[in-house]
Amino acid sequence: MRETRLWSWHLLVIPIIAVLLGAHFAVMHYAPVFYGVSVDKAREFETMIERGKSVTQLVLYILLLAAALYHGLYGLRGIIRELPMTPALGKIVDTSIICLGLFIFAFGTYVTWWTFSFKIGG
Amino acid sequence: MNSNKPAYNNRLGLKGWVYAGKYTFERYLYLGHRLTGMGLIAYMLLHIIETANRMRGVEAWEGLMALFASWPFRIIEYLLFAAAVFHAMNGVRLLMTELGFFLGKPKEPVYPYSSSIKRHRPLTYIIMGLAGLIIILGGSSLFFP
Repeated sequence: MRETRLWSWHLLVIPIIAVLLGAHFAVMHYAPVFYGVSVDKAREFETMIERGKSVTQLVLYILLLAAALYHGLYGLRGIIRELPMTPALGKIVDTSIICLGLFIFAFGTYVTWWTFSFKIGG
Repeated sequence: MNSNKPAYNNRLGLKGWVYAGKYTFERYLYLGHRLTGMGLIAYMLLHIIETANRMRGVEAWEGLMALFASWPFRIIEYLLFAAAVFHAMNGVRLLMTELGFFLGKPKEPVYPYSSSIKRHRPLTYIIMGLAGLIIILGGSSLFFP
């Protein structure tokens, strides 16, 4: 049951990643096509800070971070757990992946929050 | 049962990903899905660390962006884009299979057998064709802004 639930979440986060990663690509990599500004302009420090000060962006980026990390690390766990290993080693793999995911999530959230709370000229 | 023994024997291990007899087109898509998935998760972890450079100030950020604007990094960026598109489009195909779409109705197994994979294959070709188109169009925007 637990594995079914984890697998279901792996599938359920796909639409979130598709929409938000698509938006991320549009803003950062295809700005000339979607927004009529150059990629260089879209990546300028001031532009990046200005974008990052939006509450919507803060929430959506953290959501994308959580969804993509879960989807990716669950997939990676599946690939590693397919290899021959003892149950004890399997548990170590699971715990390591959870710790890595939590660490990256905390770090990514901190960077997003830093951008959101950045004081221009301060 | 001795708990120190492997839970099961994956005899071919990683070699079995590439070849274990005659593999079908879908099996190679599966391999591509895994490889692009691992590449994308590795990139994502690096991307989060690398974009944290903004906390070191304007100069550090602008220096990093100038590096990313160079040709080798544009090519790497394009390969990542291609990997993401392939992974996403093949993921759509896998989701449809998982949910039972385009597999046809179950029927009596009468010789010559028709497998669900074969019934599904036109959709596979369409989806992979679309993925190729998006990858080509995406490249044109990335390289010729």
